[in-house]
Amino acid sequence: MSLRNPKLFLAIPAIALIFVFMILPITNMVDMSFRTPGQSDPFGDDYTTMHYDRIVGDAYYWGVLLRSLLTAGAVTLLCLLVSYPIAWHMSKAKGMKAVFLYACIASPLMTGVLVRNFGWMIAAALNGPLNEFLLGLGIIQQPLRLLFTQGLVILALVHVFVPFMVLPINNALRNISPTLIEASTSMGATRRQVFRDIILPLSFPGIYPGMILVYVLAVAAYVTPALLGGQMVSYMPTLIIGELTGTFQWPFGSALAIVLSVSTILVVGLFTALTARLMERSKA
Amino acid sequence: MATVEVRDLRKRYQDFLALDGVSLKAESGQLVTLLGPSGCGKSTTLRCLAGFLEANGGDITVDGESILSTPANRRGFGVVFQNYALFPHMTVAENIGYGLKLQKLPKSEIETRVKDVMQLVRLGGLGDRLPREISGGQQQRVALARALVLKPKLLLLDEPLANLDARLRDEVRWLIRDLQQQSGITAFYVTHDQSEAMAMSDMVAVMKQGRVAQFATPREIYQKPVERYVADFTGEANFIACSSVMSVGEARYAVTAAGASLEVAGVPEITGSAELLLRPEALELTAPAAGTFQGTVTKSAFLGAALHCEIALADGSILKLTAEPNHQVETGEEVGIAIDHSHTWLMPEVAP
Repeated sequence: MSLRNPKLFLAIPAIALIFVFMILPITNMVDMSFRTPGQSDPFGDDYTTMHYDRIVGDAYYWGVLLRSLLTAGAVTLLCLLVSYPIAWHMSKAKGMKAVFLYACIASPLMTGVLVRNFGWMIAAALNGPLNEFLLGLGIIQQPLRLLFTQGLVILALVHVFVPFMVLPINNALRNISPTLIEASTSMGATRRQVFRDIILPLSFPGIYPGMILVYVLAVAAYVTPALLGGQMVSYMPTLIIGELTGTFQWPFGSALAIVLSVSTILVVGLFTALTARLMERSKA
Repeated sequence: MATVEVRDLRKRYQDFLALDGVSLKAESGQLVTLLGPSGCGKSTTLRCLAGFLEANGGDITVDGESILSTPANRRGFGVVFQNYALFPHMTVAENIGYGLKLQKLPKSEIETRVKDVMQLVRLGGLGDRLPREISGGQQQRVALARALVLKPKLLLLDEPLANLDARLRDEVRWLIRDLQQQSGITAFYVTHDQSEAMAMSDMVAVMKQGRVAQFATPREIYQKPVERYVADFTGEANFIACSSVMSVGEARYAVTAAGASLEVAGVPEITGSAELLLRPEALELTAPAAGTFQGTVTKSAFLGAALHCEIALADGSILKLTAEPNHQVETGEEVGIAIDHSHTWLMPEVAP
């Protein structure tokens, strides 16, 4: 490869962008996470592993990390359950109906993150429409405390991440030839068996990127847990921001961020390894 | 091993009548071809048989019992698709064994039966490959094996050779015919290729605009077509409009065609206008003024095994003719044409 290679030449802007806005900051953050705490500055001059020692040695941080990873996992699975039927219907739609459905699916992304979360705060308030609706139906007798619960955080995250799951799955479903369904049917498969043996595995090339996208976004979500999760429970992003901008412990905040990144990469890597065979077989 | 009867089958899409009363019958062990151009309803008929489409009227019976209310997955028919429809995420062996697995047969039995059928279609050793790792011809054989391994009552083939190149097409064609005859499975075969239809079938249904124009043996379809459409679709044909058609016996007529008076066999009970079918190979070049017709050679092409000529008759009609290859003809030459009378056939003029 030389600079005369046009492919490499065209890649230069992308490489420059990634270098300046990803490689440099991450290197800087890794470096920061090994700095000693500063007295008057946000960080000191010497290097230490004390921040990592502190995180590993303290069950509190393990708990927050676990909560973040599990919450993101729950968001991802719920998103998958909600999105698959939507993607299925979208994959069958044609013409204006398809355009309309695309617009509906993308709608959560068209609202700003603050506006959307304030909307949830109003909707989930003690005397808000959600409670009034449930009281009106007679399902509950007392208004439920919905706001500042983990459940609401999950619900709000599922809401905004559904498009990231629906679109790739819809794409994968559209790529499945209808004759495959007919073929399996003619071989004796029931609708359930057709779904289990043919449609589900062949839509995995859409499920996989959808799950990865949603998981990574959910682990890193900050605004929604901060606004809807309340002060009782912490997630890694809220903790990290607190260290960086609240107490100005840049090295410790960086160490937390690195721990979160590495954990996320491990989860994604494990998922990829476990599904590698299915992916290899089902990709077009 | 089943007798299959299709009776007055109808299928309508909004304002398009796809099937307008299709009737056919396949005796046990027969291979019946549905032949016609695209849009004639041949695939629709097959899909109704398979149960992928619901008919709007008529009936389909297998051994006398209607199957219309049986869903596709309980009909027990094998279907082979034009694009093979192999499951891309399953190996060759898994593809073939899928139907057996659904029947919850023991693993060892599945393995034996898959192995046997792979031997039968000459796929030995390819069991662990994915469909995308084998050739088109091999993929088609997997599709065939996958249908046969279930020992279907009826085999439905939808243009199975259309995606293969000419040499493979021949090979797979004979394989399909051999396997079908060995196993004695009744089969329906959809194609738009007349030579395929002629070579393989026990019976051919030539379809036209959602109807069966003619349902007969390949020989009858070719030699005794009921109308011009059928004759055209089954091979090269000359048609000469006849004046003064007179019945002179059962399905025999005295006609005047291009100035010549002839007595010919034809479709029974022709009343209106009629045209004479002359296949190119039923015509022979003779000396000028010797044959039944006289004309001028307008084109001639040497094709190795035969010489193809076009000859303009005095009344302006053109005759295509297949002559013996060593015949010397020049464009513009005056020739006579003799007719093999056993190969003439009179048909009523019907709207195309």
